[in-house]
Amino acid sequence: MADLGAACLWMALALAVYSGAASVAGQLRAAPALAESARLAAYALALTLLVATLSLVQSFIARDFSLAYVAAHSNLAMPNIYTWVAFYAGNEGSLLYIAFALSAMAAAAIRWAPAATRPTLAWTVAILMFIEVFFLAVMAFMANPFQRLPFPVPDGQGINPLLTHFGMFLHPPALMAGLAGISIPMAFSLGGLLGGKGGDEWIDAGRAWGVGIWALLAAGLLLGSWWAYTILGWGGFWFWDPVENAAFMPWIALTAFVHSIMVQKRRGMFRMWNIVLIDVAFGLALYGMFMNRGGPVPSVHSFGASTLGWVFLLFLAVGVAVPLAVFFWRYDRMRSAQRLDSMLSREAAFLVNNLLLLGIAFATLWGTVYPLLARLFSEQEITVARPFYDQVNGPLLLALVLLMGIGPLLPWRRANWRSLRRALLIPGMAALAAATILLALGIRQPYAVVGFGLCALVSTSIIAEWTRGVIARRRSAGDNPLVGFARLIAANRPRYGGYVVHLAVVMVALGVVGQSFYGIQRDVALYPGQSVTVADYRMVYVDTTALAFADRTEFRTTVEVYRDGALLAVMHPRRTFHPDHNMASTRAAIRSTPVEDFYVVPSENREDGAVGFRILVNPLVWWMWVAGPVMILGTVIALWPARAAVRQTAPAPSPAPVASAAAGSGIGSD
Amino acid sequence: MGNRAIAPPTSATRRNRARTKTGAVPPVLLILTLVLALATALLSPAAGVAWAQSDPNEAEAQAIDRMLMCPVCPAQTIDQTEVTLAQQMRAQVRELLAAGASREEVLAWFRERYGPGIVAEPPRSGINLIAWLVPGAALLIAMAGGILVLRAMRRAPPPSGAAAGTAAVAASPSETDPDDLQPWLDAVDRDLAQNAGNLPTITKDDNHG
Repeated sequence: MADLGAACLWMALALAVYSGAASVAGQLRAAPALAESARLAAYALALTLLVATLSLVQSFIARDFSLAYVAAHSNLAMPNIYTWVAFYAGNEGSLLYIAFALSAMAAAAIRWAPAATRPTLAWTVAILMFIEVFFLAVMAFMANPFQRLPFPVPDGQGINPLLTHFGMFLHPPALMAGLAGISIPMAFSLGGLLGGKGGDEWIDAGRAWGVGIWALLAAGLLLGSWWAYTILGWGGFWFWDPVENAAFMPWIALTAFVHSIMVQKRRGMFRMWNIVLIDVAFGLALYGMFMNRGGPVPSVHSFGASTLGWVFLLFLAVGVAVPLAVFFWRYDRMRSAQRLDSMLSREAAFLVNNLLLLGIAFATLWGTVYPLLARLFSEQEITVARPFYDQVNGPLLLALVLLMGIGPLLPWRRANWRSLRRALLIPGMAALAAATILLALGIRQPYAVVGFGLCALVSTSIIAEWTRGVIARRRSAGDNPLVGFARLIAANRPRYGGYVVHLAVVMVALGVVGQSFYGIQRDVALYPGQSVTVADYRMVYVDTTALAFADRTEFRTTVEVYRDGALLAVMHPRRTFHPDHNMASTRAAIRSTPVEDFYVVPSENREDGAVGFRILVNPLVWWMWVAGPVMILGTVIALWPARAAVRQTAPAPSPAPVASAAAGSGIGSD
Repeated sequence: MGNRAIAPPTSATRRNRARTKTGAVPPVLLILTLVLALATALLSPAAGVAWAQSDPNEAEAQAIDRMLMCPVCPAQTIDQTEVTLAQQMRAQVRELLAAGASREEVLAWFRERYGPGIVAEPPRSGINLIAWLVPGAALLIAMAGGILVLRAMRRAPPPSGAAAGTAAVAASPSETDPDDLQPWLDAVDRDLAQNAGNLPTITKDDNHG
C-alpha cells in the first residue's frame, strides 16, 4: 500500500505540473481543449491525492513501521482512532493533508465556478496548480511521508500525548485546510486580473469561498482554544503564542475581506481594496504555514519542527511578490464603478472596520517581528508576549465590538444623524443600563464595564433589528412571529446570517472579558482529606489512584466540590506521565455553567502524597464554546444559496454581471 | 426560501401602516431591553462578591507571573508551566512582594538577573518605546489615509460606466423618511421582493440592506 501512495505522490506532482502548464498554454494560444484537459487534470489530482492519503492511513492502521513517518508518529499501543491525528502529527503527513485538502477544494472551486469567472478560469486553475506543485514538490523531494527506513523497527515511537484530545481531531485539519484554502478566493481574484478583468467578475466566488474559509478558520481557532483550555493545564485558552498569531492574522485579514467584499457586491466600490485584502490574507496565510512548518520562533506548537523553513520562506516571498506585481500591472483596470455619497454610511463603516482589523493584524505581526528587530539593531533580547498583545489589541477589539453595534444600523449610501440616533436609542439604553447595573454590583474594571456594556449594545441592536423586521412582517403579510422571523432571515441571508455570527462574536467577547478580568486562580497543595475554599466553592481532595499502562502512568485524582454545604460534583482531573516522551500531560476537570466554570487540574504529584492543584473559577467561559456552533449556523445562513429557480426568473439588465453570475452558480445570495 | 408568492405591498398600504405607529418605541423593544439588562445583571450576582480575587497580594503576584517568561520553556510565562525553575520564580515573586516590593521593582529584580528578555513585554522606555508606539501610529496613519481616500471618492465624479439608476438616486437622498418603522418596512418589503426575483443592486429605498 505504501508503494501505491508513493507512486500516487509522483503522479500527483506530474498532474499538477501538467495542469498548470496546460492551463497557461491553453489560455495563451486560445486552445480551449488544452484548458479543458488542464481542468480534468485538476480533478484527477484530487483523486490521486485521495488515494495517496488513504494509502498513508492504511499504513498507519497496519502499523507499517518500515515507513519512517509511521514509525515516528505511532506505536502498537496507540488506538486506531488516533490514526486520524497521527496522520498530521508531523510535517510529511501535514503536507500530504494540506495538498489533498487544497486539491479537493480547488476541484470544487473549478467545477462550480460562477459563469462570470469562466473567461479567466484557466488562470485561476494555473495559480492553484502552481501552489499545489509547491506542496507536492516539497513532499516528493524533502519530506516524503512514504520514505522507507533502512530497516523496519519493531515498534514506533508513539504519538505525542498532547495530541490525543478530541479538539485535535478537528483543530489542526480545520486550520491547515483554512490556511491553504485562502488560496482559492485569492486565485479567483488574481486569475481575473491576469486575464485582464479587474471588475466584479470574481466577487461571488471570492465571497462564497472567503466566508466558508473564514468559518473554517474561526472554528479551528475556537477548537484550538478549547484544546488549550482543557489540556495545557494552566487554565487559559489564548496566549498569543507565535503560532497562534500565525493562524490568527490571516483570519483577521479574512474577516476584513468578508465585510469589504459586501461593499463591492452591493455598491461596486472598493475593487482594489478587496484585491489588496485577499492578497494580504493570502500572504499572512503563507506566513502562518512558514511559522508552523519550520518557523524560527519557539512555540508550544513546535510539533513538526523541521528544516523546511527556508523553502516556505521562499514560497512566502513569491506568494507576496507575484500578486503585488500583477496588482500594479493591472492597476488601471480596477477603477470602482461608484462614488461615495457620504462619510456617514455603511460603506464608510466597513472601511473603518477594515482598518481596525488590519490594525490588529499589523500589531500582531509587529509584535512577532519586533524581537528580531531589537536583536538586529540594538542587540537587546526583548520578548513580546501576552501582556503586550493584551494591551495593544484589547482596545482595538473593543472598538470593533462597538462598530459591530453601530455599523449594521447605518444604511448604504447615506445615513442621517437623526435616523442613526433613533436606531441607537434602544441599544444605547441597554448598554447604559448594563453598565450601571454592573457598577452598582461592584464591577469596577473599566475594561469589563465597557466590554459588557458593548456586548449589551450589540446584542440589543441585533435583537431590535429582528424585532422590527418581524413586526413589519406581521403588518404586511400577517405572519405570526416565528414564520415572519424565518421569512425575514430567508429574505436577506447574508445580512441576517451576519447578525447570527455577530451574536457569536458577542458570546466570545463575554467569555474573554469575564475570564480576563474576573477569573480567580488558586494554586494549592493538598494532602488527601484536606480542603480548600475558592470563591464560594469548597473543594475536598479525596485521593489519587495510579493506573499503569504500557506506555503511560495515569494519576487519576478524585475531588469533591461543595457549594453552600451541598455537594455539587465529584470530579476526576488527570495527570499522566509518558516515559517514552519524558513528559506529563494533564486533563482538567471542568464543571461548566453559563455563569462560571469551576476548573481544577492537578499540576504536580508530590513524593509525600500531596497533590498540587490549580483551581480556577472562570466566569462566562461557557459562552465561548457555545459560540462555535452559533457561528457555524450564521455562516451557513449567510452562504445558503438562493433557490436557482427563483434566481433564473431575474431579468438581468445593466450592472448585473453579479446577478447573472449568482444565477449561474447558485452560490451567490445577497 | 420560496417566497415568490409574496408580492411587495403597494406604497399606499405602507403609508397607512406607518401612520398607525408614528414615533412610539414598540413596547416589545422596551421589554427586550429590560430583559437583556436583567440577564446581564443576573449573570453577575456572583460578580460583586465572588468574582473578586480574595487576596489582593496573590492577585498581584499572579499578574506578575503572567509577565515573566520561563527561561527554559518555549514561549511560555511562568504561570503556564510546572518546571522547577518556574516554581522557584513564582515563589521569588511572592517573596519580593511580601518584602514590600512594587510590581516595577519585582520586574526590575528579574531583569537585572535574567536580562530584559525575561519580561514578556518590551520596556516602556528608551528605544523600546517604538514597540509600543508603532501599532497605534500605524493605525492613526491608516485612519487618516482612509478618511482622505473616502473624501477623494466623494469628490470624484461618478465614472462614466456607472449605472444610470444609482446616479439618479444621489440626487434625491432626502426623500428617505427617517421616521418610525418606515425604513424597516421598506427594507423588509424590498428584501422579500428581491428574493422573489428582483436584482440585488441598490435602488432608491435601499437603505437598510
